[in-house]
Amino acid sequence: MGKQAKISAVLVGIAAVATVAVSAASAAPQATPGVTAKTIHVGGTFPLTGVASAYKTIPAAESAYFAYVNAHGGVNGRKIDFTVVDDAYNPAETVPAVQKLVEQDKVFALFGSLGTATSLATWGYTNQHKVPQVFLASGDAYWGFCAHKACAGSPKPYTIGWQPDYASEGRMYGKYIAANIPNAKIGILFQNDAFGKNYITGMQQGLGAKKSEIVDTEGFAATDTTVTQQVLALKAKGANVYFIAATPAQAIAALVTATKIGWAPTTFLANVSNIRPFLLVAASNGANLDGLISSSYLPNWNQQNLPGMKLVKSIVGTYAPDLSSDLAQGDSNIVYGMAVAWTFVYALEHAGKNPTRASLETALHSMNTSKNPFVYPGLVIKTSRTDNFPIEQLIMTKWSGGASGGMLGVGKLQNTGR
Amino acid sequence: MRRRLVPLVLIAALAVLLALAPLGLSDYHRGLWAHVGVYFIAILGLNILVGYTGQISIGHGAFMAIGGYTTALMSHYHHLNLIATLPLSFAITFACGLLVGIPALRFRGVYLALATFALAVSVPELPLKWSKWTGGSGGMQTATTPSNLWLYAVSWTCAALAFAAAWLLLRGRTGRAFRSIRDSELAAASSGVSLPIYKTLAFGVSAAFAGVAGSLFVLVTNGFAQPNEFTVLLSLQLLIGAAVAGLGSLWGTLAGAVFVGLLPELSTAVPFVGQGHGQDVVFGLIVIVVMLLLPNGVAGLLFAIDSRFNAPIKSDPAAS
Repeated sequence: MGKQAKISAVLVGIAAVATVAVSAASAAPQATPGVTAKTIHVGGTFPLTGVASAYKTIPAAESAYFAYVNAHGGVNGRKIDFTVVDDAYNPAETVPAVQKLVEQDKVFALFGSLGTATSLATWGYTNQHKVPQVFLASGDAYWGFCAHKACAGSPKPYTIGWQPDYASEGRMYGKYIAANIPNAKIGILFQNDAFGKNYITGMQQGLGAKKSEIVDTEGFAATDTTVTQQVLALKAKGANVYFIAATPAQAIAALVTATKIGWAPTTFLANVSNIRPFLLVAASNGANLDGLISSSYLPNWNQQNLPGMKLVKSIVGTYAPDLSSDLAQGDSNIVYGMAVAWTFVYALEHAGKNPTRASLETALHSMNTSKNPFVYPGLVIKTSRTDNFPIEQLIMTKWSGGASGGMLGVGKLQNTGR
Repeated sequence: MRRRLVPLVLIAALAVLLALAPLGLSDYHRGLWAHVGVYFIAILGLNILVGYTGQISIGHGAFMAIGGYTTALMSHYHHLNLIATLPLSFAITFACGLLVGIPALRFRGVYLALATFALAVSVPELPLKWSKWTGGSGGMQTATTPSNLWLYAVSWTCAALAFAAAWLLLRGRTGRAFRSIRDSELAAASSGVSLPIYKTLAFGVSAAFAGVAGSLFVLVTNGFAQPNEFTVLLSLQLLIGAAVAGLGSLWGTLAGAVFVGLLPELSTAVPFVGQGHGQDVVFGLIVIVVMLLLPNGVAGLLFAIDSRFNAPIKSDPAAS
């Protein structure tokens, strides 16, 4: 018996020592987590691996922009230290990663994290801990509506998106069709979940009294690799307007299939898939892109000479040469990353000399600027206590130039209004 | 007498350590160790099937998905108490396991592996098809989200119960039947062991453990269920965990769970590795090193596959 008693005593002793050591280590308090005299530490979760890893140029571009800002004096003398964490687009990995950023790395705020589901899995936690969850890379309308309205139990004022929401975009296409295409027969191909349905709701609102012009909607599952059946069904219903509410993989298939079955409707494409390298893949597989309509909040293909676009090129050249070939192909996600990072620096500058989480939250709800050099010229980024949608303007775009062409702007910036 | 006392004292000491640990752990580490508890239950369940009964499964992530969505749906729509969803998950995945076990009677070795692999691929697609109720790729949220302390306490209580249940099940008549099937189906059948009953039972019990683990897995993910959480990679991780643990032995389960649950965290601390693919490389390297240093794990896995094709092997290298 003596030996077993000894073992138990030793183990209890170890437990006791560990207890004291760990609690002592976690005791040191800090006024504002992540902010020192010289640095501001922020972190974000992104799919660097897995199904959505095509988006990994976004955090790379954001890091490059922060490096550029740091080299030019930082924000009120503080350098931005940006920790990028891979979550493989899997909420089960996002949750511990965010907890680690907040509790172990003690970041000041979360910035730029990508994905709707991954953000929905973490926004309860970030708002409970009052950690700003800034400029999510997701166009869901939740981030806008839920700042002052209870969602999933409580308002989420510490969470904010950036780009126009999906329903607003759908609404704009609906209005355009109602005004410009007489006797439209609209067929919608949509991802059968909240993402795709947001677009349908928006389009119905935009069509208003003409909403009966939607003759058919065909859904597909997010993991489907082919949409042939759905496209054939839309053609069979006699649709002459085709709206593709899909992410890039299925959008490419939807464009290629339509051309291959000899269907040439007026085609609208959700702007999450309006990314030139992806569309070129569709073209090289036989899709006819000319006349394809989409929208953007970033400069168009023929606006490479804007000062902002030149700045993107020079920042990539100096701080992220790995991105050069993606940029040359027209990967707008790089421009997107810089534009979002610019907005974050703007918000930080307006959060006071010694920013706190609360002062950043306030700054995020009182933005008003048209100076962002990376967005479409003239676009205003604006929020208030009652309006948590930073961008509510889009420019319609139309593809021209065939397989070596790109998206060109149509008309003026439009308010997507709500 | 002594042979029995030593493991008992070790278990008691471990239990005391696990019970006291949350007092000294930061909130983040409580969450991390709750993850380990979840993997412990799943790997334990997988080991009953693969290590003890000799039936391969590359599809246990599917049972975790069923359990996870059971909890999410019951909490979201019926506001059922989270604890109450656990026995429900157990029952549902037990039934699913029995159902899968029936066709599995006709499959052996790699064919069974492929059939269960198909399960791992197809089940996470179901929430996308039924997105009206499950939120599809947008995921769904439980009505309440527990604290990390709650998660730690519940997952390790479940782990202790699961361990006790597995030990009781495997030490007696049922365990003997399982092992005899693993060692030689022919010999087992001719000794009066009913292959259909015991094989389906092993599938049922194993799936039920995975189901409870799946429920807890959703809870440690802030109560958020989404198909990407249950990809084939999860099934493979469990199998790797079981192999590291040592197939056919309950005692290594903790090591397997720590390996799968803590490695992503630990590998980020390795210099020059960073994020993304580097982490996967570290994971792979450690698997190789562990396998070289602990050949029992590999031997157990090979044994399970090999005994399906070749004459019975005389002794099980993984058995302790």
